[in-house]
Amino acid sequence: MNIEIEAFTRVEGNGGAEILIENGEVKDVKVKIFEGPRFFELLTLGRHYWDVPDLEARICAICYLSHSVASVLGIERALGVNVPEEITLLRELGLLGELIESHALHLYLLVAPDLFGYADAIRMASKHGEVVKEGITIKAFGNYIRELLGGREIHGINIKPGGFGRYPTIEELEQIESQCEALLRPARRVVNIFAEQEPLGATVQHYIATNEYLYGDKLIAEDGEKFDYLEHIEEKTLPYSFAKQSRYKGNIFMVGALPRVMLKHDMLTPMAKHFYEEHKEKLASGYVSFNNLAQAIELLYALEKAKEVAKTLLDKGIEGENVPIEPQEGEGIGYVEAPRGVLVHHYRIDEKGNIAYSNIITPTAFNHGIMELSLYEEARKRYGSSDETTFLQKLEETVRAFDPCISCSVHIVRL
Amino acid sequence: MMLKLGVFELTDCGGCALNILFLYEKLFDLLEFYEIKEFHMASSFKEHDTLDIAIVTGSVSTQRDLDLLHYARNHSNYLIALGTCATHGDVQASVEGKIRDKLEKVYGTKANPMKALDSTPIVQHVAVDYAMPGCPYDKDEIYQVLMNLAKGIEPPTKDYPLCVECKLNEYECVLVKRGIPCLGPITLGGCNAICVKSQLGCIGCRGPIPKEANPASEFEILKELGYDEEYLRRKFKTFARGELRW
Repeated sequence: MNIEIEAFTRVEGNGGAEILIENGEVKDVKVKIFEGPRFFELLTLGRHYWDVPDLEARICAICYLSHSVASVLGIERALGVNVPEEITLLRELGLLGELIESHALHLYLLVAPDLFGYADAIRMASKHGEVVKEGITIKAFGNYIRELLGGREIHGINIKPGGFGRYPTIEELEQIESQCEALLRPARRVVNIFAEQEPLGATVQHYIATNEYLYGDKLIAEDGEKFDYLEHIEEKTLPYSFAKQSRYKGNIFMVGALPRVMLKHDMLTPMAKHFYEEHKEKLASGYVSFNNLAQAIELLYALEKAKEVAKTLLDKGIEGENVPIEPQEGEGIGYVEAPRGVLVHHYRIDEKGNIAYSNIITPTAFNHGIMELSLYEEARKRYGSSDETTFLQKLEETVRAFDPCISCSVHIVRL
Repeated sequence: MMLKLGVFELTDCGGCALNILFLYEKLFDLLEFYEIKEFHMASSFKEHDTLDIAIVTGSVSTQRDLDLLHYARNHSNYLIALGTCATHGDVQASVEGKIRDKLEKVYGTKANPMKALDSTPIVQHVAVDYAMPGCPYDKDEIYQVLMNLAKGIEPPTKDYPLCVECKLNEYECVLVKRGIPCLGPITLGGCNAICVKSQLGCIGCRGPIPKEANPASEFEILKELGYDEEYLRRKFKTFARGELRW
């Protein structure tokens, strides 16, 4: 006998799960990613590097800016381009905006209905309008930053190799600085809401993140070793899913907010760190559902940090000059922390500046293994002791905790 | 009377469904007229029912997509193809080659147990009542269309090139002044020339202007500026496979 979750809801993209039951016991769980393949690596082959970040943005709408930045970092490393601090800070500001937008969407509009007992945020709004409204306000602010740095709320084209199309003005940066301050108060409240979430899913044994908070030149794991993804991460194809699965030194691992706060809590801003300390034990228990608590802490981090970055830029002033680039042969990897975890863009570029090789691994693909294990553990624990509605509801909540972004998970490739 | 609305997502980046949520407070204005019966990104609620309006986003890239599209068409009175995936196929439809060869390159096998198909726009498979391109589309445009429909008015379709919006905004022409490959002259307007606002060329994400586009002339202009033919061919094809001839 099998139990089907036909399609996960309140997630981006199309996926479901099959729970295999034998002799009254849960034997196996398969997470099926049936979102169609979009072949992004093939799409970028032969394309001029200048146009590639705009194409890669279209992998995912929720985290398009992370894709653009990862793409630009990979291209710049391949071409030996170093950008000044101003450009790095502006990119970081964009990534922080995306973190604010994406976490607010996920926490307030997609997960909170579970905690309050509603099918969606729209239905929840009649009784808890204030919470929904705060979520929408924070999310809209994240999108304001994305539009400013990325050029559009979705699929902007402003983030380019060597710099930006248009640079923000002083007034626009001042706007960011003051808004961050104003939104800290409602964001504190959401941490308390998510601190009450119950433990669900597997407990994580291995965490992977980038070495800097939102990007990096290497990956790190809990033992502190710095490495390139090809050194320790392997991918395999599955017959029941368009997404492949990855292993780190042969083990299942997790990427995302929980791994970030666990591995990089020293880099958190004061208020975020305060809440990390307060909930440290809970987070360290490693249950995947506490990824949402980690996201709530990161929402505070992003608001505090964006304020700090905007202030630094205002103090220094904006020069607004792009670094000139000469096409040449080269290879480079860009590592970025998309809101839901590590994102890898790897390119080889030929002497004319066209893409000769491209490999992308997205966070949801990295998390595919731990997601399956989590569903298995949760299903085993509940099968026979919960009624079917609760059983399925808890399994969906378990998957939702990852903030899976299924659209983006389906075009990982090694050529 | 409330209108019954369903949002269906085929294969895409999720942005077209997400953009509806980006209407923020205006979404609540729409909910004065609409009852959402299906919208899996936003809600766990689902009711199998005949719909007044179905919004379909994404391209047909699997057998499941095709089945879902037929379901949406057969259960709705008015169907909106929303976003360039739905209207023109978008980037995934521009990847050349047969599906089994593409699968082999990516997954290392020609086997196709999940029934992937070559990506095609939904307008190629079913009759649609309204098509709104954009990658992503302008969210205020869908708001207006849904408001019009709620009042019983057939919404107007845009038919002018992007250059019109560029001129209205008084942006400097990046093509003429700076030689940047801008697809504005052959691309359908409606985004308020947002890429040119960033001083970058239009990448053509809303697809060509129906009937009026003159891609051959644009192709010649860009060739004269020194751009490689292969580069231009790919650029022209990116969002609208097969619709531009030059």
